[in-house]
Amino acid sequence: MDKKSVLIIGGGISGITAAVEAAEAGCKVYLIEKRPYLGGQVARMNEYFPKLCPPYCGLEINFKRIRNSSRIEVITSAEVENLSGTAGDFTIELRLEPEYVNSSCTVCGDCSAVCPVEAKDSFNFGMSMHKAIDLPHELSYPNRFYLDDLVCQKESCKKCEEACNYDAINLEAAPGKRKIKVGSVLFCTGWEPYDPTNLKEYSWGESPDILNNVMMERVGAPNGPTSGKILKPSDGEPARKIAFVQCAGSRDENHLPYCSAVCCSASLKQAIYFTEQDPENRADIFYIDLRVSGRNEDFLKRVEENQQIRLIKGKASEVSLLEGSPVIEAEDILSGRKIREQYDMVVLATGVVPCIPGLKGIELDPDGFIAKDALENGLSAGGCCFEPKDVASSVRESTGLVINALQ
Amino acid sequence: MIEISPDIAFIEKLQGATGSQLTTCMQCGACTASCSLSEDQDVFPRKQMIMAAWGMRDRLMADPHVWTCHQCGDCSVSCPRGVKPGEILAALRQEQIVHYSKPAFLARWMQKPAFFPAAILFPAAIIILILSLAGTFSIPEGPVDYSEFFSHAWLNGSFTALFVLSTIGAVIGLRRFTRNVFTQRTVQKTNPDKPDQGQSPQAPQPALRGILTVLGRIMSHRDFNSCDEQKSRSVTHFLVFWGFILLLFVTFFAILSTIFFEYPLSILNPIKIAGNLGAMMLLAGSSFMILNRLRKRDQSNYADWFFLLSFWLLTFSGMLVEGARFHEWSFAYHLYFFHLVMVWIIILYYPYTKFAHFLYRTVAMIITRSGRQAG
Amino acid sequence: MKESKNTGVYICSGCNIGDAIDTDKLQSIAIEYPSVKQCQVHPVLCSPEAYLKLNDEINEQQLDSLIIAGCSPRHAPDSLKFSEVHSESVNLREGVAWVMEAGHEDTQAAAEDYLRMGIARTAASGLPEPYIPDAPESDILVLGGGITGIHSALEGARAGYSVVLVEKEDKLGGRLNNMHDIIPASGSKQTNLKFFLEEKLEELDASTLITVHKNTSLESIEGEPGKFLAKLKNGKGASECKVGSVILANGWKPYDPAKLTNLGYTDHKNIITQVELETMQKEDRILRPSDGNVPSTIVFIQCAGSRDKDHLPYCSNVCCLTSLKQVSYIRQKYPESRIFIIYKDIRTPGKNEHIYREVQKDNHVFFTKGRVDRIEKLENDSLRMIVEDNLLGETISIRADLVVAATGMEPNQSDDLHLLYRKGEGLPDRKYGFPDSHFICFPYETQRTGIYAAGAVRTPQGIQACMEDAGGAVVKAIQCIESTKRGEAVHPRSGDKSYPDLYMQRCTDCKRCTEECPFGSYDETEKGTPLPNPARCRRCGICMGSCPERIINFDNYSIHAISSMIKSIPIPDEFEEKPRVLAFVCENDAYPAFDLAALHRHRISPWLRIIPVRCIGSINKIWLSDALSAGYDGILQIGCKPGEDYQCHFITGSELMKTRSENIQETLQTMMLEPERIETVFLEIDEYHRIPEIIDDYMETIEDIGPNPFKDM
Repeated sequence: MDKKSVLIIGGGISGITAAVEAAEAGCKVYLIEKRPYLGGQVARMNEYFPKLCPPYCGLEINFKRIRNSSRIEVITSAEVENLSGTAGDFTIELRLEPEYVNSSCTVCGDCSAVCPVEAKDSFNFGMSMHKAIDLPHELSYPNRFYLDDLVCQKESCKKCEEACNYDAINLEAAPGKRKIKVGSVLFCTGWEPYDPTNLKEYSWGESPDILNNVMMERVGAPNGPTSGKILKPSDGEPARKIAFVQCAGSRDENHLPYCSAVCCSASLKQAIYFTEQDPENRADIFYIDLRVSGRNEDFLKRVEENQQIRLIKGKASEVSLLEGSPVIEAEDILSGRKIREQYDMVVLATGVVPCIPGLKGIELDPDGFIAKDALENGLSAGGCCFEPKDVASSVRESTGLVINALQ
Repeated sequence: MIEISPDIAFIEKLQGATGSQLTTCMQCGACTASCSLSEDQDVFPRKQMIMAAWGMRDRLMADPHVWTCHQCGDCSVSCPRGVKPGEILAALRQEQIVHYSKPAFLARWMQKPAFFPAAILFPAAIIILILSLAGTFSIPEGPVDYSEFFSHAWLNGSFTALFVLSTIGAVIGLRRFTRNVFTQRTVQKTNPDKPDQGQSPQAPQPALRGILTVLGRIMSHRDFNSCDEQKSRSVTHFLVFWGFILLLFVTFFAILSTIFFEYPLSILNPIKIAGNLGAMMLLAGSSFMILNRLRKRDQSNYADWFFLLSFWLLTFSGMLVEGARFHEWSFAYHLYFFHLVMVWIIILYYPYTKFAHFLYRTVAMIITRSGRQAG
Repeated sequence: MKESKNTGVYICSGCNIGDAIDTDKLQSIAIEYPSVKQCQVHPVLCSPEAYLKLNDEINEQQLDSLIIAGCSPRHAPDSLKFSEVHSESVNLREGVAWVMEAGHEDTQAAAEDYLRMGIARTAASGLPEPYIPDAPESDILVLGGGITGIHSALEGARAGYSVVLVEKEDKLGGRLNNMHDIIPASGSKQTNLKFFLEEKLEELDASTLITVHKNTSLESIEGEPGKFLAKLKNGKGASECKVGSVILANGWKPYDPAKLTNLGYTDHKNIITQVELETMQKEDRILRPSDGNVPSTIVFIQCAGSRDKDHLPYCSNVCCLTSLKQVSYIRQKYPESRIFIIYKDIRTPGKNEHIYREVQKDNHVFFTKGRVDRIEKLENDSLRMIVEDNLLGETISIRADLVVAATGMEPNQSDDLHLLYRKGEGLPDRKYGFPDSHFICFPYETQRTGIYAAGAVRTPQGIQACMEDAGGAVVKAIQCIESTKRGEAVHPRSGDKSYPDLYMQRCTDCKRCTEECPFGSYDETEKGTPLPNPARCRRCGICMGSCPERIINFDNYSIHAISSMIKSIPIPDEFEEKPRVLAFVCENDAYPAFDLAALHRHRISPWLRIIPVRCIGSINKIWLSDALSAGYDGILQIGCKPGEDYQCHFITGSELMKTRSENIQETLQTMMLEPERIETVFLEIDEYHRIPEIIDDYMETIEDIGPNPFKDM
């Protein structure tokens, strides 16, 4: 085992960054991802704030660095089952999902063309359909098709296996196991949006026009369910007026007591790309405090100057439905008035909930994040493991954590 | 412009009364948004919360909006910081009653358990004094006839006098309240963009229509019904409200009867039936209120319990007194004495207990309504 | 460079390539070239069998170069990577078969052309030989002995690298020396600064790998990664040290409160800054400057300077938390004190929200959003703050015994590095003095290779983040040292062994390369002759694009190679009515976008010929005139978005292309050609759906202006 070897759990932007930075600094890197592709949450995002640039741009260059590096091994569809050992000598046991599609896949698409099963595309949060065997998304790394175990008819169908000219599909594939020994382990297990089903006051689930912010990213994305045109999911008509409800779950003792740090900038961004689609579009953002950091202030300024966007200081306490359309009632604190308005769509800025694996050596703090001081020697954690972070901070921090692997 | 000089003792008092960490309010406005009574131009309770957190006692004492609240609890449920704005407003209402009450010591008696013995013994002693003066302070022989114990003339006379005295107290309190509200209103800018220096310092005259609307709202319990969180509160209050009104009329007839007709009335007399119905409504309503407090659905404190329990005991003892008369219970006169003390407590203290809310709230609703029309 | 003389061409017919294109025809074309020793068609070139076969043939035929004609180079699997031979890709799948009509003569022509271009390019290129400076250094120089510098030194030493730490003061610790306590890191209770700093200084003293120079100024830095020479000076005299890379950790300064005329900092004795308050706290007492009394009411004004277009347009990130920290101290120390905090927004992101709530619990602390309209002087030098736009909705006034202005953080000048670089002493700042070049995706990157900024000089941040920054900058510094030793480029072309080679005999000292290199790779002699520093180079080729004499070339990416590609294909004459448009496509974002369009099988005009370039800034004017002389009807230059929100990985590449366009238009005029013959398109990677439309629109433009008059000349 190479002493300067590191196993990174989580192939989101933090894990990817740590992997390439570590490898280029001379480490042997194992990058473990439970999804069939790298990129995590950012792969689904439409744009980054504050530059409004596509996350694919940064992912592409990082994937290129992974491709060009001989020191990174990417293991997708894998989860860590057990972690043992001490700093300098960790043993990690992985559970590998069946490799129905192997590395011989050329992404030619013949399998998908013959697949008879259509299912809701989880990449688009079920807002569109895809085949049981399909490419997770265009830029997926590894660049190969993925078979959805839950909906595929397997042996009773076999059409894809027959259609594949490259022996890339094996429907009888079995789950596997693997053991890896490394010197250090880095957790970049990321986050998921706060479960909106807890937000009864926002009528979650009662109208398809009430979305959360990660779904909105898909709606705005050129490779999303509506090819980037922001349409009301209920009837496919263009949305003209959207409300963004900040702190939908965050900064709330009934839900998440902490601030999720990214939702303000995320909504500002979404309001900008929404209003840029049509000069008639209007966006209202209901907030408690506008928390954008550092130079992103320019971005806030840009929104303040945008005549199509209203920033309303006042938490929306409720979203109700009137004749099927969402209605928001809030106090406009700065004018001391109560307002009640109807919208085409409501975007709930749901917060960040960490995804922490239950493994040895990890203790949680009261908020459910990894307790920093309690991490064992040789283990470190980046991204949203300690607290909610935006992409820039995650990348900054995970690069910094690579130093632990070099020592 | 208002100079901010926080009254920290006042903040502590509110914290003590409500158990709320009210200063952790982050002014998000969710309370206002969730409040179905807060209207477009007349928003609360978010502003009351900042005034409370800043210890702006004078301002809050002159704020009629604390009465607009019917304490349904919607705001407390939606509050992300758990600071219970609804209860802060309840505490403020209590504070206002104490603040405006004359004589002030009576109001203070209602606030602390330490004054409980005094609050009970005072009316009991006066009743004993009256009975002693009348010379009937002993258990009469024969079938139960309460007028043997407390003659109608003495009863009507002393209780009417008591009512008149309390009502004078109530009127003084209300007058102080309205005057203060209007003084503050002229000082305060309602809109930061348009300082209303030009506005006349006189109180806008409430239009008759406004008053009628407010009374209609009170009688129909419309404001109560608009609350989301606790629909049952509307029903219990409705029962208590109308039960009480019914009993007021019955009492009025009873007094007339003692003078012009025969008393006690037959059990089948429509007035008697109405009285018993009212008593049942009152008992049912107040029992539910007690139950809700016990189940912690509604927050409470000593003053609230004092008022509610005395109300319940008044009703319950009244019903027992009636039963005792029909069934010739041996302790009928003891019950009757107890009941009379409860009646006294209610009448004597009504401007100083939570009971005063019917006055303050009505006046506040009329003021806020007229203020809105004027604005 | 190892030249390419024996080339093997391998054509894949899988993935519909064989259906769309006559691969046998391609084979027959390839073997006509003298440089091509071998050409074969394989049904699945990415299969393990094919790999073995290829490997054998490289050895048997002594091939020095390979052409893989199959899928996009972005998709080529590991099995087609042969590091010992030069290899080029010909993109028949995403470039032809998936985007053009199968079996059509135009499709076939496109495939043939791409093969010809590949062969031409290969013949003019070779496997690069890396540049490695003589005896490259491994030490790291850290400028600044504050928390970031100290932590950088420790992290570097822990990783086994020697570190030289330079501090201008007589004491390490920087601003921490004037601080009372620190904001607890999320989830941590550690606020004891003394313990925190002493612990680090002890480790620093104990380390044999760290050399500390106190009271020392950095006079200059010259050289390149692996070979930096730093000149130091202190009271005792001058010294020199050789290092491999440099970390700039010279910290921040508080915004000058005298500039805050609206607060009247200079007029009122009892207005102090957060930094001044911290110094008072360190002495464990807070007294009014005017009379030395303990203030009973203190007002904090947040964003004093920050978030203000007239002062610091950005948010300084730490002032809200700092005020909360200071308020906690004051409240503990003076239980009777009352504190007001006037804020724009309380910014306590993440778990710091708990800190905010804890302070709020204190009923002697009063928060309001608001704007301080004016400050009036009262008796005793007390002050009255008039606050508008507050939560009460009416003007309020607050009497204060002491006012604390939360002035923001300004980065110190990166000129402290005193780089002896042609392009200036410091790191170029893109905005507001912060020297990072890609603050979202690659926050440690700067425009000076081997020099990384960390801590508050990079962006306003707190102690915890500064320490994380230190780790990151050290990782980058180590990476740069190690890559330089291997002769490889660092981000974004990590691992690239090619570097620009200058044929100095023909250099006219025009200085364009030195001027246009975004990374300041070139120094100059007094005469103006460029002095290349290949280890500073990021291999973007912008210098190659800028050179009018065409003397700058890479082994595998040269003026000649691209020119040969351009000239390698037959151009149909004007009577055939088959125009040819050449597209220079940036391989970072635009080329992947073409691949993604192909994945969706978007149809692309078969008259287009694509040449991938490292950056559109690397396009040399000669290629344009070569193409126009060869008879191409139009040229598209497709690259990344320029401007403030640039996406160019080489920062200024697409910006340069914008300015160069004017020059190009002049060239067109002299050639008596329409300005539309050359167009520049900025394309984001996710705009691949737009590509067919962009190409079709341009084809229409070309149709409108008619064929290139230079055809067949």
